[in-house]
Amino acid sequence: METVTFTLDGVSVTAPKNQSLWEIAKREGTAIPHLCHKDAIAYRSDGNCRACMVQIEGERTLAASCIRFPVEGMVVSTQDERSVTARKLVIEMLVADQPEQSQARDRSSHFWDMAKMQDVSVSRFPPIEPTRVPQPDLTHLAMGVNLDACIHCNLCVRACREVQVNDVIGMSGRGHDARITFDFDDSMGQSTCVACGECVQACPTGALMPATVLNESGNGDSKAFDREVESVCPYCGVGCQLSFKVKDEKIIWVDGIEGPSNENRLCVKGRFGFDYIAHPHRLKTPLIRREDAPAKGLDVDPANPWTHFREASWDEALAAAADGMSRLRDDSGKRVAGFGSAKCSNEEAYLFQKLIRQGFSHNNVDHCTRLCHASSVAALMENVGSGAVTATFNEIENADVAIVIGANPTENHPVAATYFKQFSKRGGKLIVMDPRGQGLKRHASHMLQFRPGTDVALLNGIMQVIVEEHLYNEDYIRDYTENWEAMKSHLAEFPVAKMAALCGIDESMLRDVARTFAGAKAAMIFWGMGVSQHIHGTDNSRCLISLALMCGQVGHPGSGLHPLRGQNNVQGASDAGLIPMFLPDYQSVAEEGVRTAFNDIWGTDNIDDEKGLTVVEIMDAIYAGDIRGLYVLGENPAMSDPDVDHARAALAKLEHLVVQDIFLTETANYADVILPSSAWAEKTGTVTNTNRQVQMGRPAVSPPGDAREDWWITVQLARHLGLDWSYQHPREVFAEMKLSMHSLDNITWDRLEQTAVTYPSLAEDDPGQAIVFGDGYPRAGGRARFTPANIRSPAELPDDQYPLILITGRQLEHWHTGSMTRRATVLDWAEPEANASLHPKTLRKLGIRAGDMLSIETRRGSIDTMARADRAVSEDMVFVPFAFVEAAANTLTNPKLDPDGKIPEFKFAACRVLAPDRSSVDPAA
Amino acid sequence: MTTTIDAAGIWKSGRGKGRSTPKGRQVDDSALADIRDLLGERPRRRDLLIEHLHLVQDAYGHLSAAHLRALAEEMKLSQAEVYEVATFYAHFDVIAEDQSPPPALTIRVCDSLSCELAGAQQLLAGLKSGLNAADVRVVRAPCMGRCDTAPVLEIGHNHIDHANLELVQQAIAKKDLHAHVPAYEAYAAYVENGGYNTLASLRKGASAVDEIQDKVLSSGLRGLGGAGFPSGRKWSFVRAEQGPRFLAVNGDEGEPGTFKDRYYLERTPHLFLEGMLIAAWAVDADKCYIYMRDEYPAVLQILRDEIAALENAGIVDAGFIDLRRGAGAYICGEESAMIESIEGKRGIPRHRPPFVAQKGIFDQPTLVHNVETLHWVARVCREGPELLNSVQKNGRTGLRSYSVSGRVNNPGVHVLPAGSTIVDIIDAAGGMLDGHVFKAYQPGGPSAGLLPASINDVPMDFDTLQEHGSFIGSAAIVILSDKDSAKAAALNMLRFFEDESCGQCTPCRVGCEKAVKLMETERWDKPLLEELCTVMADASICGLGQAAPNPIRLTIKHFADEV
Repeated sequence: METVTFTLDGVSVTAPKNQSLWEIAKREGTAIPHLCHKDAIAYRSDGNCRACMVQIEGERTLAASCIRFPVEGMVVSTQDERSVTARKLVIEMLVADQPEQSQARDRSSHFWDMAKMQDVSVSRFPPIEPTRVPQPDLTHLAMGVNLDACIHCNLCVRACREVQVNDVIGMSGRGHDARITFDFDDSMGQSTCVACGECVQACPTGALMPATVLNESGNGDSKAFDREVESVCPYCGVGCQLSFKVKDEKIIWVDGIEGPSNENRLCVKGRFGFDYIAHPHRLKTPLIRREDAPAKGLDVDPANPWTHFREASWDEALAAAADGMSRLRDDSGKRVAGFGSAKCSNEEAYLFQKLIRQGFSHNNVDHCTRLCHASSVAALMENVGSGAVTATFNEIENADVAIVIGANPTENHPVAATYFKQFSKRGGKLIVMDPRGQGLKRHASHMLQFRPGTDVALLNGIMQVIVEEHLYNEDYIRDYTENWEAMKSHLAEFPVAKMAALCGIDESMLRDVARTFAGAKAAMIFWGMGVSQHIHGTDNSRCLISLALMCGQVGHPGSGLHPLRGQNNVQGASDAGLIPMFLPDYQSVAEEGVRTAFNDIWGTDNIDDEKGLTVVEIMDAIYAGDIRGLYVLGENPAMSDPDVDHARAALAKLEHLVVQDIFLTETANYADVILPSSAWAEKTGTVTNTNRQVQMGRPAVSPPGDAREDWWITVQLARHLGLDWSYQHPREVFAEMKLSMHSLDNITWDRLEQTAVTYPSLAEDDPGQAIVFGDGYPRAGGRARFTPANIRSPAELPDDQYPLILITGRQLEHWHTGSMTRRATVLDWAEPEANASLHPKTLRKLGIRAGDMLSIETRRGSIDTMARADRAVSEDMVFVPFAFVEAAANTLTNPKLDPDGKIPEFKFAACRVLAPDRSSVDPAA
Repeated sequence: MTTTIDAAGIWKSGRGKGRSTPKGRQVDDSALADIRDLLGERPRRRDLLIEHLHLVQDAYGHLSAAHLRALAEEMKLSQAEVYEVATFYAHFDVIAEDQSPPPALTIRVCDSLSCELAGAQQLLAGLKSGLNAADVRVVRAPCMGRCDTAPVLEIGHNHIDHANLELVQQAIAKKDLHAHVPAYEAYAAYVENGGYNTLASLRKGASAVDEIQDKVLSSGLRGLGGAGFPSGRKWSFVRAEQGPRFLAVNGDEGEPGTFKDRYYLERTPHLFLEGMLIAAWAVDADKCYIYMRDEYPAVLQILRDEIAALENAGIVDAGFIDLRRGAGAYICGEESAMIESIEGKRGIPRHRPPFVAQKGIFDQPTLVHNVETLHWVARVCREGPELLNSVQKNGRTGLRSYSVSGRVNNPGVHVLPAGSTIVDIIDAAGGMLDGHVFKAYQPGGPSAGLLPASINDVPMDFDTLQEHGSFIGSAAIVILSDKDSAKAAALNMLRFFEDESCGQCTPCRVGCEKAVKLMETERWDKPLLEELCTVMADASICGLGQAAPNPIRLTIKHFADEV
């Protein structure tokens, strides 16, 4: 870094030339007041408030130190009378129009800190006319907008536009009547605001505040908490680090902190979706099904479970849970299965799979990865030799081209999406491929709204252009791959013109995408469930891998393959062996050496060499009566499985169902024993995000009543099942994991107490490798493989009876099956009602008004839900989120599986929509 | 097929509470069709946002929320980005769903100093009471660059000089609502008189760039927008930077009292255009942007026609000259704010460094010139540097185009030696009006404040007024008499600054507003005003806020008895 030497307050100082005078002064121990400058990563200094003025010799006016950079020989003074007076007067001018500090929106605001620092508490200037003072806007449940405290620093605009790139907040008007506005001066609650709350975290005055901090008169205090606890967000795989603010043993609000994946950012769920843990439905005591309970069904009111369950002590409940399982264990080896959780810690996932494998001598243990990225992992394992991402999503910083396919990150990985949008703002070419015109569309350089289910045609077409136009990277292919010739000749059968017709995208666009991607210096591919949740999900991923390989876009900065993982710990749970075919670290149960190693560590000899059954296969086996006992930890198959009526019928057939959860979930309706566990904010443990970053979760508050941490419950259950387990703390479990998991080499509990570590970490001081496979692949010969893919239709195509295409997925505010988020006040407020999105034209043809109820039918079942008019959905498509029990989308979905990944086809089913009068209307008519 | 499930398990239903659409305002199909029709084949680039807003405002008389939403969609912009631009500029009427559009006809009454002296407030009041508010909207507006015919107003796009209610009623009756384009020297006539020969010979290599630059330098020509930077020297700064380079013409002649650019453009537009093309040739510009204020509709028409003539004649490629229309914002006369506006954004001045010569339009090196400067560039290149440097008076060199208004007999543009004193200028303008005694003058727009008649021997040129706490700026001279209040004039100036402050920085945004309040009092709190003036001058980002205290300080200094 180039440095310069200059004089600061009479002292010669050497500093990097790209460091601002403000930063250098801070480094030298001089605090210069600042308002519009936020001393945080990703915030551009704007220099508008003029609270940080300094004098530079030879200049007519003062300079804002936050945006001035030193040059050789410059003479700067920060403490001269002219600068000090100017800074003080700027504050005094602003104080004139602020509510008094005793009536402040935030009495502990940064603004008042700065005023105090300069001994300013009142102003001699006349206040602005009352008619020009903006009125409070209390239309948003999560945030109070009191612009009477606004100082026009525009930090919220930068937060919204430059950091989160949600583009809702603007500075409208001019002069002193310029104003922070949402959209077209809409109220915040009516605007397109997605409530990420970045503005609230950025606001230095309290003009924008978390509503929970404000009293009825709109006054609050941002320092009024008892303690802060640093932890990780419980929702998605981005793994944002956050700080829980706790007062009176309650979480009162949440701030983002500087984790490696989020750099202080959060989304609406992470910031405002925390109060589910205090919902009255929380399970506070173990429950046992009453002997006089009705036959099992979805018939329990979580607010009043006493119709079906009775309270039990932990001893009694654990004994009942274990007895039922051990009885079945005695029958034949494989009568019991387990669904672990990607929402819990690595340690808990490890213990869960160990319990099933050690306790029952088989591998019937799986978790929701099966429903998410099983096909992606299958393809990655097959062709790259590893199931995890080859690069962090943050690597997009170094890319010039990126493909996002079958992923809707603005809703499902909102914080990752902020980096994608910033990439596009910087001029990066963002190629979005999605049948829906989703949130990234506005930021896309290329938007390919292709026909659902034609992924392979689309990708083969693009790859064929790369072959035909010799755009591939011959050196890379020669040095790092295998099976190229076969791939090339295979692709010859997929001429681009024909593929264009199949996927509904112009040939010229496919060619442009091929040239853009192949011409990139560094390119990444991100994908989500739009790719994986198909019967050809593995083939879809194979194509993406081949595309990256043929262009040599793996292993160097700004390149890589990144399936965006869904759950907060789906990567960690998979790594920890919560998969029927693998022991921890993807070590195959079929390999004797692997089993021996684990038997040695576990002090057992009973690890089964036969792969276990996967989620949907287990449900089928339950339905068939082969499996009769199930231990479910934090999963909700009664909502999340395809053809959920079938899954529920299977659950009803179980002889013994143990459900461990924080709420009485739909699945727990069918339970025999319910074990109340801790929410994420109540426990200790590590999690691994989509970036392979291992991070420490810490308890902010205690679990309610008799609820216990999941690892403790699993340990007790193991002991009741006769296993000799004596873990006293997750750190002991982590230590045992390290014995068999090389991915955790150089990563210790103590390190994780201090900082996040990305695996692989090559040394004790290596923060971890953001990019892997720069020097070859963990496969035979170090080579990645091209696996050609053929075009296959979705399992169920539209026809006269069922003319529309049903796609299921998620919405920003709701997590998975809704058990947490529908109990979070803000999230429930923002998205309260089950809905289905259709194009307004389709609704018109159907004679259904937006907001009316409609009925959706497939060959599996039907639901009634509210019609939402959404132009992002194409005219032959219906999009249904699966979080709503009153209109469970999985009633409709097709349980057909991908042959390799065993993932069901959630992203394609034929359906029909009926108008409220219940007569089916053909939208084609 | 539907499984019957017991209601008890359905623990939650938000029936009736949900949104029937995604969040926020949705696109309306018919509004989108309107926007697509209006925009036609025009590019959807972000920098054209203001141009596109004009299309909608012109076609519909206002900007409805539905149209703005559709425009955002069509341009792939967020609603916020469109809204903040639309609401920054005074000539756009943004109308929310629950508001009524303004009447079809708008009258803007100038209330800047010269018009104020000529009775703008009475005119405004008279129009408001004399016209039906349902048919005609009467609003105040800042200087329209017609101070020599004060009071003035704009009805539709027709400017009425020496305006009164009767003239307005006549215009309405005759539907005389469009700009009147005066007779001017058009392309053919200009060429006939030897126009564009200089440019053609330069393009053929008759002289090196350095020679021409030296010629301009030796003429003594300085930036006539007001900053007075030696014109030739700017060229070498821009030439030193890596291309592509742009040239931008600052035609946002908004400094109240100034009308010399309009004077030249409405008479000899091709002198300016040839000057511009010579400068563009000198810095090897890829493109010329002309940013012309919306208050000059006749000039806009002239330029549209004459640029087309240049394209037809093959003197420039189509698109080489990009004429951009301002939208009512004084701040866009500040060069970096103008550049922001050219990029389709709010006119917010940028911080320096970097200077626009290094990072201007689209962060590329940009040569910015005032209109009149380029007029003289053409003449100096054709007639030689002696045109300017041979004129000597009172130790000063060159000519100045003084826009003179106020209490004189012959207001107008007077081209005089740069060494002229205020007395010379009043003489040139036919002397004081009968019954008026010279009391004070605004030497260079409100930014230059107010000087007393006693300072009457100073050459009205660059650099000479500094010691008096003032400057010549754009040479917008307004003469006040014993019938006028210096205090009222200063307040008029600060009200103007309060209205026109972009709002970006605290000292200017809050400072102007507080200054007006302090100046509205019977007796000024002079110490506090002085503190305020100091912070505004020291800490404002751009010249607007830095110079806004001048009227306050000079009034306190020279007219203490009034305040």
